[in-house]
Amino acid sequence: MNHRSHATRVLTLRRLQETLLSPGFYVAQVVGLFAGVYLITRFAASVDSSGFNFALDPVYDLIGRSLQGTFGQAFAAKLFSEGPFLFVLYMSFLPVLVYLALSSVFRFGLEKKAGAVELITYGPADGTACLLSYFVKDFLLTLTHLAVLIVFFAVAAALNNLVLGPLFFYSLGLLFFIALAVYAYGMLTTVLAPGNPASALAVFIGLLVFFLILMLGSFTVVSGYVRSLAATLAWIVQWFSPAYYWSLGFRAMETGNLPFFLLTVLLLSILTAAILTASHLIIKTRGVKA
Amino acid sequence: MKRVLVAALALLTTASLFADVPVRREEFIYSILAYNGRDYSGTFCREESDTIYLIADVDNFITTRKTFVYFWPITGDYKTDTSSLNEPQEGSLELFSRGQETQTESLSPMKYTYYNVRGEYELNWKVAKGEEAGQVWEHYSALVDAYWESLAAYQQEKMIYEMLLSELTKKIGELRQAGQDMSAVVEKLKSLEPPPEPKQPSEYIVPPVPVQQAFIINLPEGEYRIRFLNPDGSVMEGTEKKLVTFARKRSEGIAFEVIPGDRWTRPVESNTASSVLYVDGSSDLYLRPFFQLEFNDLFYEKMRKNDSLGNPNLYKWARIQQVPGAGIELTLPGRQATLVREEPFYVEQTQGSALGYQIVPFDPQGSHMGREPSLRAFHVPLEADTRSVSVRARDRQGTVLEGSSRQIRVVRDNRSGILLTLLALLPLAVLLLVRLKRKRVYGAP
Repeated sequence: MNHRSHATRVLTLRRLQETLLSPGFYVAQVVGLFAGVYLITRFAASVDSSGFNFALDPVYDLIGRSLQGTFGQAFAAKLFSEGPFLFVLYMSFLPVLVYLALSSVFRFGLEKKAGAVELITYGPADGTACLLSYFVKDFLLTLTHLAVLIVFFAVAAALNNLVLGPLFFYSLGLLFFIALAVYAYGMLTTVLAPGNPASALAVFIGLLVFFLILMLGSFTVVSGYVRSLAATLAWIVQWFSPAYYWSLGFRAMETGNLPFFLLTVLLLSILTAAILTASHLIIKTRGVKA
Repeated sequence: MKRVLVAALALLTTASLFADVPVRREEFIYSILAYNGRDYSGTFCREESDTIYLIADVDNFITTRKTFVYFWPITGDYKTDTSSLNEPQEGSLELFSRGQETQTESLSPMKYTYYNVRGEYELNWKVAKGEEAGQVWEHYSALVDAYWESLAAYQQEKMIYEMLLSELTKKIGELRQAGQDMSAVVEKLKSLEPPPEPKQPSEYIVPPVPVQQAFIINLPEGEYRIRFLNPDGSVMEGTEKKLVTFARKRSEGIAFEVIPGDRWTRPVESNTASSVLYVDGSSDLYLRPFFQLEFNDLFYEKMRKNDSLGNPNLYKWARIQQVPGAGIELTLPGRQATLVREEPFYVEQTQGSALGYQIVPFDPQGSHMGREPSLRAFHVPLEADTRSVSVRARDRQGTVLEGSSRQIRVVRDNRSGILLTLLALLPLAVLLLVRLKRKRVYGAP
């Protein structure tokens, strides 16, 4: 166990170095921050004597209509009740989440295919250490990005006389744990997918899209609720979806229910641990060969 | 052949000249008069709709009828055409809980009326059922009859008064022409007083509706099923519906209606304590605190309008009633809190060709004499240098109301975009530094 943790630590440092030396992470951050700048400044321009109004800015008008049409007026109102930062947080976080998750899946798949992982496992490291090193690298870079976002948004809030608000801070925590579950799914996909890194990537993207569709199916506005076999199956499957925990967490946040929020985070952590354990068992059984 | 073709083409094009008449379908509907926490609102459940939503533990009224139902694309909802067909259905309603089909309860139509009596504010709804409904209606009718009688008497007295007035005026004119003393007649004229105008019954804000018959549904929170039984006891086909009665989730919230001084027709609402009201500070604000209840978004929307959409995973606040005798505490940064009381205001159209309104203090002795105030609200002045104002409501006893704290922030376009853009480029600067350092150490990136 000590050998594995030491190997994980060394491999994580190597992965971090690789990521920090290449431009991808920085570019993803800048894309997220630019999205933030645009949305914050447009928000300030969408405020008149009676408050924030979607219709005053074409971009916010489009965003407002899309959100209201998909999730309902109550959702759109709650999302912007404290200001722009809750929505901006999601928009600024997304590029880095996508970059880290996809790059890890692709890179691990590539290393597996090239035999690099196999080579490492002849030494002091095993497949689990390789897998964990990617996960820990993503974990640390996500923390870094969230810290950058907090500082950036705090400056933006101070400059524009805006407030970050409790929902924003709840969401920070929730997003972090959701990101961990996504990275864990990335690792699981890589150990399950055969040979080609592109196929691992395709399976991973497909899985994320599936979870997103599932979430959209359960969180959107409806004309009534039904109890069909499909709905029951969807209800079971949604417990494996990080997006579902986002909807649970959002419900807890908007009602100010801290115990329910903590329970959501706990369940999400259990899901992440379970996926990582499954990945560990699979890689242990199947080995690291592509 | 050409003529035929031209004629056919002409016929085809004329079709577009006629209005697009929606298709009307004869349907059995449940007409619903549901209590929404503030007042009663009507909707209907058509045949295709499978569920009726009502608030638990309050009286709601359901009637059954056959009518024409059609989709109206302009508003995007279903409507009834009761002028062409409105056939109330006689029978009873069978009600049972989910999974307990053997334990049914039969409901018969009952006489009812509902009304809102005058109180400090508007929420004093009462429902009278059975015999009591008739008594309430008779009481209201008696008040109205008495008012009409006194109005008739008043008109009679007024006519006599005006006749007397004209007679005395004429007499004064004659005496003046004759050069005789008219002081006695003038005194008599001065002593004449017009009869007092009778006042309308003031007991009700919303008077009782004429006594009607309906199935009165007042159920605890839960899921039920209902179906309509014909007078012979048989079930009318296609009338079985699910009935969802729901309760509020939270009640400890205060909403603020916020009326900007320059746009009183566009009030906004602030529902949650964590919400922040951002304004541009171009005009003062006028607030009104309301009690509110939180309901499931889907259930509440469907209760108000059965064919609407809602999000079953979210809750929404519904405004109920203005907080009676409230005070609003305003705190500006670094200053002492001040307590603002409700005041009457009058809305005046702005002078000049530009459209717009302004809210001014109501002046009953001066320019607004003989008029009613346009609104009663709490005035929040916003000055040019105001950055934020903290607001919270206190009840009549001075206790701070839970969930009533809000922030009002003045957002001004301060051209922060350039600074934020530069900040957003910082990660690339970090990349550049990392690369340069590596190049210096290893000689290559």
